[in-house]
Amino acid sequence: MRRKPGTLLPLETEILEVAQSMLRSGQATFHGFGLAHAMRDQNGSRSLTSHGTLYKALGRLEELGLLSSHWEDAAAVEGRPRRRLYALTGEGARVAERARAGKTVAPLAQLTSEPA
Amino acid sequence: MTPERMAELVARWVRFYTRDLPEPVAQRRIDEIDADLHDHIAHERANGAGEPRIAIGIASRMARGLAADAAWRGHQSKIAARPSTREKTMKVSRSVYRSAVRVALGVALLLLVPLVVTLTSDGEAWSAFDFVAAGVFLAAIGVVIELAVKRVGNLTLALGIAVVGVLAGVAGEADDAPGLVLLGLVLIVSACALGLRAWTRPAQHGR
Repeated sequence: MRRKPGTLLPLETEILEVAQSMLRSGQATFHGFGLAHAMRDQNGSRSLTSHGTLYKALGRLEELGLLSSHWEDAAAVEGRPRRRLYALTGEGARVAERARAGKTVAPLAQLTSEPA
Repeated sequence: MTPERMAELVARWVRFYTRDLPEPVAQRRIDEIDADLHDHIAHERANGAGEPRIAIGIASRMARGLAADAAWRGHQSKIAARPSTREKTMKVSRSVYRSAVRVALGVALLLLVPLVVTLTSDGEAWSAFDFVAAGVFLAAIGVVIELAVKRVGNLTLALGIAVVGVLAGVAGEADDAPGLVLLGLVLIVSACALGLRAWTRPAQHGR
């Protein structure tokens, strides 16, 4: 899908909304598969978001400062590959809130110029 | 095919499309997908999904993301190809150094002419002040030429060149040297052009 400069794609908005609802339910951080699973549940879809689409969107949201990420502690891994954990930033939460309120996502330049 | 075999296939694909990218970028993507695949298989098995169904689910996620993977690789390659700030600074430093050497060599070569005449002729003799003044004026002209060729410059430089031009004009008037006055006028006009250009440049970029 071709992107208008300074706007979010529907998938990116959806990620922020799902992350916001996870945050509200007490889950401050999330990982790739957990997010794909939560999105599938919310959409009632049969398939999980593809790897390429999901991680490209996460990277883009991080570049825009709407998400932050870090590797989970080695101690928490327990024999499985360690996960990259994502969290909504303050700006990301605001954008998600607007999307949730049903407003059109405003150009990012305007959103990021607002006071924190 | 077992889910593990399918996951290995996906991991190979990830290693393929992350090849030649900066190591931290490539490794992050590889590690993230590894964790995702592990979580996917564990989750589906815990929910009682059959092995073929899990493998098909993994294959489907890979296939549907191929275009995004390619686009991501293209984006990351572009970022990696951009010169770093340090490289840009070094490039600018080298350019300034080369300009300075060119101007210095040009001034030295031109000043050789009056030097030879002064050393070999009894009639025409330049004082040390004459050489210094001529050197300053010639250097100013050299800077203007360098700036014009490179299409750069700022208001401070324009002001400095204008000051040198005024000094040349004043010295020419006092010494009754029309050539020096003309040189001063050329420098002042060049400084005005340079200053005007530097002043209007930000507005052009802002559009």
